[in-house]
Amino acid sequence: MNLNQLNLVEARQGLISKQFSSKELVQSCLDQIKKNEASLNSFVTVSEKEALSQAEKADLSKPLGGIPIAVKDNFLTQNIKTTASAKVLDNYLPQYNSTVVQKLVDAGAIIIGKTNMDAWAHGSSTETSDYGSTKNPWNINHLPGGSSGGSAAAISADEAIVSVGSETAGSIRQPASWCGVVGLKPTYGRVSRYGVIAMKSSTDSPGPITKNVEDAATLLEIISGSDPHDATSMDESSWKKPSTLPNLKNIKLGLPLSYFPKEIQPEVKAAILGAVEVFKKLGAEIIELPDILDPKYSIAVYTILQRSEVSSNLARFDGVRYGHDRTFFGQEAKRRIMLGTYSLSSGYYDAYYTKAQKVRTLICQDFDRQFQKVDAIIQPVSPTTALKIGATVGQSMFGELQDMFVEPSSIAGLSGISLPCGFDNNNLPIGLGITCAQKREDLVYQLAKIFEDNTDYHTKKPQL
Amino acid sequence: MSTIITDDEFKHIAHLSRLTLLPEDGFIIDQLSQAAEYSSVLNELDTANVSPTFQVNHKQNVLREDVILPSLPQSVALSQAAKTSNGYFVTKATIKK
Repeated sequence: MNLNQLNLVEARQGLISKQFSSKELVQSCLDQIKKNEASLNSFVTVSEKEALSQAEKADLSKPLGGIPIAVKDNFLTQNIKTTASAKVLDNYLPQYNSTVVQKLVDAGAIIIGKTNMDAWAHGSSTETSDYGSTKNPWNINHLPGGSSGGSAAAISADEAIVSVGSETAGSIRQPASWCGVVGLKPTYGRVSRYGVIAMKSSTDSPGPITKNVEDAATLLEIISGSDPHDATSMDESSWKKPSTLPNLKNIKLGLPLSYFPKEIQPEVKAAILGAVEVFKKLGAEIIELPDILDPKYSIAVYTILQRSEVSSNLARFDGVRYGHDRTFFGQEAKRRIMLGTYSLSSGYYDAYYTKAQKVRTLICQDFDRQFQKVDAIIQPVSPTTALKIGATVGQSMFGELQDMFVEPSSIAGLSGISLPCGFDNNNLPIGLGITCAQKREDLVYQLAKIFEDNTDYHTKKPQL
Repeated sequence: MSTIITDDEFKHIAHLSRLTLLPEDGFIIDQLSQAAEYSSVLNELDTANVSPTFQVNHKQNVLREDVILPSLPQSVALSQAAKTSNGYFVTKATIKK
């Protein structure tokens, strides 16, 4: 096994016991990047020189000391180019670190590079990146999902030990599902948004994308916590993962029936129902949720609110203080800004924006009702496995449809995870979604860990 | 509610958005209409007595002490600007002479 194939726990053990050095670990990831980037395109920027230099002075006493990490390109990284995969920011060198990156650096992590994404995080494929699509390591003719597709592909291809992404609707969980890795979406406000290029501020949630559940929890411990720079961050200090796992005989898991429409890929449905059986055998009680709100409403709510917030958030990019002017926007960004401006404009505001915010209340209330009946919801993450390159062409709502099962939970600010639970007939990975109430990452972690401990899907690797 | 967006509305939205649309961006008008049309599904739900949710963790009036904290030095803050003059960003004129 090469060093780049290690997970966080193994890499830390190896570093501390001096089986290898941080420089060797970083070099191993850089070698893997060099070998595969021409076909995968997971990174916008590889910070080889800086990473090797930092590895020389790695402080192994820190929780991420000497560990190479891939960071999505919408997190500001001081003096490392940050583009959000958009040509508007092609020349942007941030003057400060986002809170998440600062916490990672303070914990000793080494930023190996900035990962590709849908431009401005607008999409679920990376196909809207101004730097070309990332390819899925399981089959390079397929998409990795998005918007954190570069981070998910980089972890799937062992180009880094851990990574961070950000989710607004499904941008951590959906690419994790399509690339066969773990993506943890924290409760809204659990992780600071400060210094993350804003997309839809009322749901943007940074979080880990990793090789296993334990690594995701370790990373969340480090990046979570209240931040005075983000007024919507929670008042609580860092999240701590529970030290024990519960007896599933005391756990009720909900199966949302409207999350299995006839359009769902049969292998995806079969894999999720297979996961339900695993939990059932371990003692969990499965309760059908026949009346959970149809996700079609979340698609519409998300479409309106995302475009509205985007039109406001992207107004700041005028080329005066940094970056290029507005003629550099790509078509996808223009399309979203236009719809957002329309839905916020005089005469349409109440019909679209206010109506969507009211339905958002109904979605939140619906989850409150469901979580009175069950402890967690077991669900598909995406209706399909990774679609082919080019699948987004002409599809104005591609992302909304691919994220439709996780959008409701993002709109309500809930916690959730995607972890591997099977493969389709073409050997493409399938992700299992576990969704819990706000601030219940403890249960998300515990259920995911129990599933992972009782299955071996997470040990499978793509043939590169 | 009509969901057909006219050419004039389209141009007005582009102006409000501070975007210069190119001929090849013309397809956006149809996609705007489609998205607006899709959104009409929300009218199936009665929201007459429902309050909007703008923010899901319900924090309000987040304030801090009014004290000056360290910030970026002026030269660093200006370092990414395309054009500066005498320690300021240079913007387009907003007032005609």
